[in-house]
Amino acid sequence: MSGIELGLLSFPLLILLIFLRVPIGMAMLLIGFFGVWLVTGSERPILAQLKSLPYDTFSNYSLSIVPLFLLMGQFATRGGLSRRLFDAAETWLGHRRGGVAMAAVGACGAFGAICGSSLATAATMGQVALPELRRSGYSGALSTGCLAAGGTLGILVPPSVILVIYAILTEQNIAKLFIAAFVPGALAVFGYLLAISIYVRLFPQSAGRKEKIDGAARWRALLSVWPVLAIFLLVIGGIYAGWFTPTEGAAVGAAGTGIVAYVNGGLDWKGLRDSILATAVSTGMIFFILLGAAVFNSFLAFSQLPQEAARYVTDAGFSPWFVLALILLCYLIFGCVMDSLSMILLTIPIFFPMIMALDFGLAPESTALWFGVLVLIVVEVGLITPPVGMNLFVINSMAPEVSIGETYKGVVPFILSDFVRVALLIAFPGIALWLVALLR
Amino acid sequence: MSMAGGPIHRLIHGGAFALAIAGGLALIAITALTVASITGRGFLWAGLGPVPGTYELVEIGSAFAVFAFLPWCQLQRGHVTVDLFLKPLGRMANLISELVSNLLISGAAAIVFWRLWIGLADKKAYGETTYILSIPAWLGYAAAAIGAAFFVAVSIYTVWRSIRELTAAGGDTEDGS
Repeated sequence: MSGIELGLLSFPLLILLIFLRVPIGMAMLLIGFFGVWLVTGSERPILAQLKSLPYDTFSNYSLSIVPLFLLMGQFATRGGLSRRLFDAAETWLGHRRGGVAMAAVGACGAFGAICGSSLATAATMGQVALPELRRSGYSGALSTGCLAAGGTLGILVPPSVILVIYAILTEQNIAKLFIAAFVPGALAVFGYLLAISIYVRLFPQSAGRKEKIDGAARWRALLSVWPVLAIFLLVIGGIYAGWFTPTEGAAVGAAGTGIVAYVNGGLDWKGLRDSILATAVSTGMIFFILLGAAVFNSFLAFSQLPQEAARYVTDAGFSPWFVLALILLCYLIFGCVMDSLSMILLTIPIFFPMIMALDFGLAPESTALWFGVLVLIVVEVGLITPPVGMNLFVINSMAPEVSIGETYKGVVPFILSDFVRVALLIAFPGIALWLVALLR
Repeated sequence: MSMAGGPIHRLIHGGAFALAIAGGLALIAITALTVASITGRGFLWAGLGPVPGTYELVEIGSAFAVFAFLPWCQLQRGHVTVDLFLKPLGRMANLISELVSNLLISGAAAIVFWRLWIGLADKKAYGETTYILSIPAWLGYAAAAIGAAFFVAVSIYTVWRSIRELTAAGGDTEDGS
């Protein structure tokens, strides 16, 4: 069998293993290991590579952002900031129609600015906002739907673990990607608020009404969340402005949220222990997938499949937009059953060279940044699409009286809002790119 | 779920826990070091400066931490799986899949540890050192090897745990439906 054939065969095999519930990292490692062996005709190249590959992957300076961001997210979760963010947002928005749901989304967006993980954002904000939503007379569908969708803001609003991984895979500048994702992230918050506003007008019985809060109390509440703003500005601003590298920024963020959590009394020995253990599980999980992907990608490189696939799509003369639409559709379909990180690691080595070989009328770097933000959005849609959107389960498990069917219904407006945003971003790449050009 | 606290059980759990905490403390040390270095860099005019070799220390620290986290992750069933398609097939099918996965992971962990060890020997033989602090490169590998070795032990333990769960569940189904 030729390398290309082996490469093509590897994907169905991989998917079969994954569907048989083999851990995704393990499946990639297995197929990659034997793939290199078969393509090169000897076990030596892969064994030689494995002398340094795991250590190089785990000690990679850029990748060390990942555990630092995860630790930062843990500290943020324990720092009592989620409660204050929600309270602040609620004093400003709560009296509007659908206002408490809007406050939940707004608080998710703000929390996402100091937390790079969707599940953590959904879980943390869910604990705080869900009881209040239910108490204020919001329907189960809207309450769980808005929080599941709000959770995806953890990734969509920089800093974002997924963007770091994309940047490393495609050798792009992490800081520029964070900048490119900023406006689309803000747009996501706005789109969700709009979705709520339309939803409660169509279904007025799904939301209760609240009294307006006076101005002084509002400002007090807003003032109490200054640490979030300070940390976000310092981390993202510092990275954008080039004061420090993204890894250094992550360390600053972890230190900042750690101090806030300590001051707020959330970081005694037990809190610290739990933060570390939770970080250990997510870090182990992510790096095990990264290791599998490194081995699998080395096999793909040996097989020549990525280059051949890129050549094929350009030679066949498909419209670039058709290819892009097909790729994004792939992510939406796979997103229904697979987690975002695995999808990115698995597909970017094939899809990225394809996209870069096509002409979208943009400079190569702009194409790479734009495609990164697009992929980020569509893989996050996967977290809230039934039947297996992870965020839906996380939030639904917190609301025993709400059926999963109701949660599925409640998230539909937000998925529609995501679709609109993807379409806008495809039509106007400038949404992602103008801030990059401005800050260059 | 916790099985009887035999000595092996205690050793595996205690070891994985201790390693995870050590890894976390290494991360916190990286954080502190980096913040100190940035602060120093920001106060050059006051006679301070960046901590030399921060980059290298971050790399070594994060390699140690990630390897140290793997055993805990494996023990806590932290790996990402796609459950949708096997779930309807019932508990037995899932336990079998878990057993096979844990066997595969044990094999992978053993190969990773073996190759890391050879890599360590290579680095030692060539006398490779880091650029700024001249730390021998094999020291980083040695720090990583602690976690990698324990990952092998924990993976094998999870195979044994899977077998026990499987036999327990097998007994149930024969009696029951």
